[in-house]
Amino acid sequence: MKKPRRSMLFIPGSNAAMLSTAFVYRPDSIMFDLEDAVALREKDSARLLVYHALQFQGYRGMETVVRINPLDTPFGLKDLDAAVRGGAAIIRLPKTDCAADVLRLEAEVDRIERECGREQGSTRLMAAIESASGVVNALAIATSSPRMDSIALAGFDYVVDMQTQRGDGIELFYARCSVLHAARFAKIDAFDVVFSDVNDDEGFLKEVALIKRLGFNGKSLINPRQIDLLHNAFAPTQDELHRAERIVEAAEKAEREGLGVVSLNGKMVDAPVVANAHRILELAKTSYSQN
Amino acid sequence: MNNQLDFDLLDPQENADGADEVRQLLRSSDLEMDGDIQVFVVARDRSTLVACAGLAGDVVKCVTIAPAYRGTSLARKLINEVQHVATMKRGHNHLFLYTKPHNVPLFEGCGFYKLVSVLDSACLMENTPVGIRDYCEILRSFRHAGKRIGCAVINANPFTLGHLHLVRQALKQCDWLHVFVVSEDASAISYADRLDLVRAGLDGLERLTVHGGSRYLVSKVTFPCYFIKDTCVVEACSTAIDLLLFREFIAPALGITHRFVGTEPFCPLTRKYNQDMHKWLESASGDGPALRVVEIPRLEVAGRPVSASYVRQLLGEGDFEAMATIAPGTTVALLREKYAVRAGRGQRVAQLKSLR
Amino acid sequence: MEITKEAICGTLESNDLLVKVAPRDELEVVISSAVMRQFGARIREVVEETLRKMEVSHGQIMIEDKGGLDCTIRARVQGAVLRGSECGELDWRVL
Repeated sequence: MKKPRRSMLFIPGSNAAMLSTAFVYRPDSIMFDLEDAVALREKDSARLLVYHALQFQGYRGMETVVRINPLDTPFGLKDLDAAVRGGAAIIRLPKTDCAADVLRLEAEVDRIERECGREQGSTRLMAAIESASGVVNALAIATSSPRMDSIALAGFDYVVDMQTQRGDGIELFYARCSVLHAARFAKIDAFDVVFSDVNDDEGFLKEVALIKRLGFNGKSLINPRQIDLLHNAFAPTQDELHRAERIVEAAEKAEREGLGVVSLNGKMVDAPVVANAHRILELAKTSYSQN
Repeated sequence: MNNQLDFDLLDPQENADGADEVRQLLRSSDLEMDGDIQVFVVARDRSTLVACAGLAGDVVKCVTIAPAYRGTSLARKLINEVQHVATMKRGHNHLFLYTKPHNVPLFEGCGFYKLVSVLDSACLMENTPVGIRDYCEILRSFRHAGKRIGCAVINANPFTLGHLHLVRQALKQCDWLHVFVVSEDASAISYADRLDLVRAGLDGLERLTVHGGSRYLVSKVTFPCYFIKDTCVVEACSTAIDLLLFREFIAPALGITHRFVGTEPFCPLTRKYNQDMHKWLESASGDGPALRVVEIPRLEVAGRPVSASYVRQLLGEGDFEAMATIAPGTTVALLREKYAVRAGRGQRVAQLKSLR
Repeated sequence: MEITKEAICGTLESNDLLVKVAPRDELEVVISSAVMRQFGARIREVVEETLRKMEVSHGQIMIEDKGGLDCTIRARVQGAVLRGSECGELDWRVL
């Protein structure tokens, strides 16, 4: 059963203190940022900090993501070397505009895995959509490579490209839907944008409720405080939990009795519904064990 | 308080408005902006200036943080930034810092180490725990046995018969003499040439060691006023830091008991320095053993005290014959070969006369 | 790797360290730390191991430690050495 990926905590790769301690917050994923959070002067040193942090035992067992600089910058390829060799689970590619961007990244990852003896295919890719192009090409991007793990929407650059600004969320509506559909079609995960006002819990929870309804797997976070808020909001309700338990019970019963069809209350229950019920139970397990 | 502060560099010569902002911030902490600062590292909260640190060569000074931002580790960020800029952009990785004594703990937290302090007014620090320590270790390897170990510090711009006279007289009064040549390259004659001329001029004399200078002795770090042209307010110039460093570190490393200096008829600042030597080096209280300061009357030739500035004037006039009466042949030869004036004679004379 | 110029890497923030390198004829490692007694030896061990792997045989390496973990020490020392070297490029096999 797949691990839940509700929270992806952004950590600036140049901040040694945060790299040393962020694992204590236990987000579902941790993203070490070598791109926007790092000043030009420190790109080289941040790369080294992240390379070593990836191997630090505090992060063992946690899903590590590294946001590299775009490959057409002087930094991108070097970042990629550090990330793949350091053992990052996922590479997050910023400003992914088209499938070719992913393919180019994939070719480099193939090469580096070979060179350093890392298991071929073990490094997965996350495409960050930050522009109109990216949104329009989301489907092609999501299906471009077997390494594709997830697709994330990045709000700040996207709204600039769309000549608007962040507001109540309507400005992201199409982008969110596009990214979600692409993700579901490609059977990969979808992540929502960062909520940057760390003091506005109410606003944050409203947005979380919305994206949970839409079906996002998780959200990017910039402050550890947001982790618990998010996990609680994503936890299944008692009703959802109860219903899921009954569905799973029914499925197990059908299996024991060798029946081809699962039924509950006289109604047929489809396979996707059963899978979803499992997912809810898994989510519940994580939520409640953390609290 | 906003966590995100922006660091920037500010050139006080080129950015008059920025310089005014810095001046105001400094004044609010009772500090004046020194004229020799080449660049300020500044921190802004949005567009408001909240902290600054000035760099004059390898000396950090004019450091202040707006009261509302103190105690927020801004000092560490600021000094960190200063060190990065100084090392990577300006080629200075060994830095010195001037501050008031009550701020010493703050800068110790930023990787600076105390050298000497003058009562309540000033403290000199450096950004390494082994700077002065390593230097003294090197000096110690030049120690000589003896009851009276002398020291003379000369700029020798250039070496004259007056310097030779000083050394000869000093040698009569001590068992071994250490001669230091000021290494700051701020004089008409380059440091390398000055040092060569001193060695050449003292060649053949025994019981003496010629040392190249250092940042720790009569340099822009320890005695900045000495290198500023037209220093009018002599009283405001501090000589204490330089003299205390000498007494607490350099003299003990070499076992120096006597400091020799020529009487100063011309320059008020040098005259003050000589007077202050008695105060800081001879007083019973103070770290490091008390020294004897011996003033040796300046050599006179044809009724006139010999001075390096007069040699430079003669150089400007091209009068090597007159120069030979007050400077050794080696000095005259080098000046003729390397520093003789070709064109713009009048201007050059004025220039040479006014520099130290 | 050869340290050919002065360089600096790191910060004075908690859990970090500031590393300064300079060319010298011999190898000298100078460490200052608030937790010198408890961790001084460990810091030196990690620094020397990192220098060895990069084949740095001479230079002055000065560490102002504010509680950096081993992974941070490695990163900062490597960063300073790379910045102080001519080529500045990393040979990943060496790390």
